[in-house]
Amino acid sequence: MAVQPYSRSIESLRAAQRGRSGLSRSVLQRYLVAYLFILPVLLLYVVFVLRPTLQTFWLAFYDWNGISVDREWVGLANFQRLLADPIFWQALQHSLIWTVVVVAFNLAVGLAAAALLAGNIRGRLLFQLGYFLPVVQASIVTAMIWRWIYAPTGVLNTGLETLGLGFLTRGWLGDFTVVLPALAIASSWMTFGLSVVILLAGMQGIDPTLYDAARVDGAGAGRMFFDITIPSLRNTITIVILLALVDAFKVFDIIWATTEGGPIRTTEVLSTYLFKEGFQQNQYGYGSAIAVALSLIILVASILNLTLRERGDD
Amino acid sequence: MTDAIPRSVRSFPSGERRPRAWWLVYIPLTILFIFAVAPLLLTWFTAFKTDQQQLVSPYGLPLPPTLDNLGEAWTVGRFSIYFKNSLIISIADVIGMVVISSLAGYAFARLRFPGQKLLLYGLLVGLTIPVAAIIIPLYLTMRDFHLLNTYSSVIIADIALAAPIFVFIMRAFFKDLPGELDDAARVDGANELQIFWQIMLPLARPGLMTVALLEFLWSWNDLLLPLVFLVSDDLRTLPVGMLFFQGRFTIDYGLMSAGVLILSLPVTLLFLIFQRDFVKGLASGALKG
Repeated sequence: MAVQPYSRSIESLRAAQRGRSGLSRSVLQRYLVAYLFILPVLLLYVVFVLRPTLQTFWLAFYDWNGISVDREWVGLANFQRLLADPIFWQALQHSLIWTVVVVAFNLAVGLAAAALLAGNIRGRLLFQLGYFLPVVQASIVTAMIWRWIYAPTGVLNTGLETLGLGFLTRGWLGDFTVVLPALAIASSWMTFGLSVVILLAGMQGIDPTLYDAARVDGAGAGRMFFDITIPSLRNTITIVILLALVDAFKVFDIIWATTEGGPIRTTEVLSTYLFKEGFQQNQYGYGSAIAVALSLIILVASILNLTLRERGDD
Repeated sequence: MTDAIPRSVRSFPSGERRPRAWWLVYIPLTILFIFAVAPLLLTWFTAFKTDQQQLVSPYGLPLPPTLDNLGEAWTVGRFSIYFKNSLIISIADVIGMVVISSLAGYAFARLRFPGQKLLLYGLLVGLTIPVAAIIIPLYLTMRDFHLLNTYSSVIIADIALAAPIFVFIMRAFFKDLPGELDDAARVDGANELQIFWQIMLPLARPGLMTVALLEFLWSWNDLLLPLVFLVSDDLRTLPVGMLFFQGRFTIDYGLMSAGVLILSLPVTLLFLIFQRDFVKGLASGALKG
């Protein structure tokens, strides 16, 4: 077996061995090695991801405080309660508003910045580094920084005063009407750098001859941007939107570290609501029902995302 | 970073090599740059200012800089303890993740075994599961294993939850290595472990780097898992310590800024050193749950 340096010879040897005794010992041994290689991941995954996931669905059918030995099977009661729960619908609505703000910010700023960077400009690396800096920050850091920006005597209000726009000043995180979009902007600060990179990579994949042809036809910069750049980026833009959507439903840290869902639940989202129900009210069953809703929403968004990504790779 | 974005010089979508109105390009880019960088930078400056300086020049340079805030956060604010805890958990996460994701990634990419596709798709589902959605049963699982309030609970959960994405990253790296390598070694009588360890792993070093950096970033910055699993203050990580700290010292901006500096400086330095790996890795790993 040590002489023939061709993989085909191994295959034929293997085939010969298989012919003799079904699955030969060496093949079985190699299967065993492969299984040993994936065993650690599989074990962790099954015990700490898969089982809890199934358990969430299972717990959602119980009324349980998490401590007592007996839990009461309540059937669909938790889900009925969920559908009749105004806080649940508010939380969904908040996530949608959050998504709209984050998507609008990421697309508008991301497309503009990517288009400007796509040219042969000096200092592109520096700009990109700067835009990406917030992406690697902890969301608690983002939360702290933006709490100060939005504070009654913070940067934003000071700036508005200076510009003579004093009538716009307010306690941004205490004002029911603006607190949700204000936090969504803070969250966008942390994500737009990624959108710039994704959109810029998309733009640089566009066939340059398209622009040359358009230029010959006398198209201006604006026409080219909307008639060539945007349509060519359709998949990339959809990915940016879906990423923001998934992020919007997963967000927890920034809200928890600033408003904890308040004031008066105006920033409550599914993750903060289920955290409160589960770990503060000890309503493990109901908290799990919220988690089921959250999982289903994210599952759908992720499947869409993966499908588009696969298509985009072709 | 230059690899994530092809270096090739292409004309700007406006159709000009170098737009004539250069300021139309640079002014918006610079405003956005300030928007991105200034909030963090000003917070870092504040960490070096006395209360007096904060009042007199809230947006100026900290001159002369004081180390009082940092010292107080480090000792009285217990950030030295949080820092140590964060470091222990993140480093354990990185080591564990590098080992198990390279083993599994290799098996999925280069070995053949029954059930391979099924197991791979099974892991793929894990990419979509948000942590918040399983945090309640995960907490109960840790309680049943008597792991609550230990480093292990956070380390294990961090690794288990992020493993799928890193297995996929490593699988992609191993798939790209030339196919003749392992076959030739097999013919020479090397066993699977030798092939993996001596031939494949050294070639997959860039992949391991990505895994290590991203896992460090995510575990260093994570709030939810340590918040739920770690009860005693002696075990808290920087983000959790920061969360409770802000409740106690809300109005002391100097102290809070020092905390932000301690939390954000390590990842910022890593980012500046390994920009390219971070940008590429995060752009491809943006799907993580």
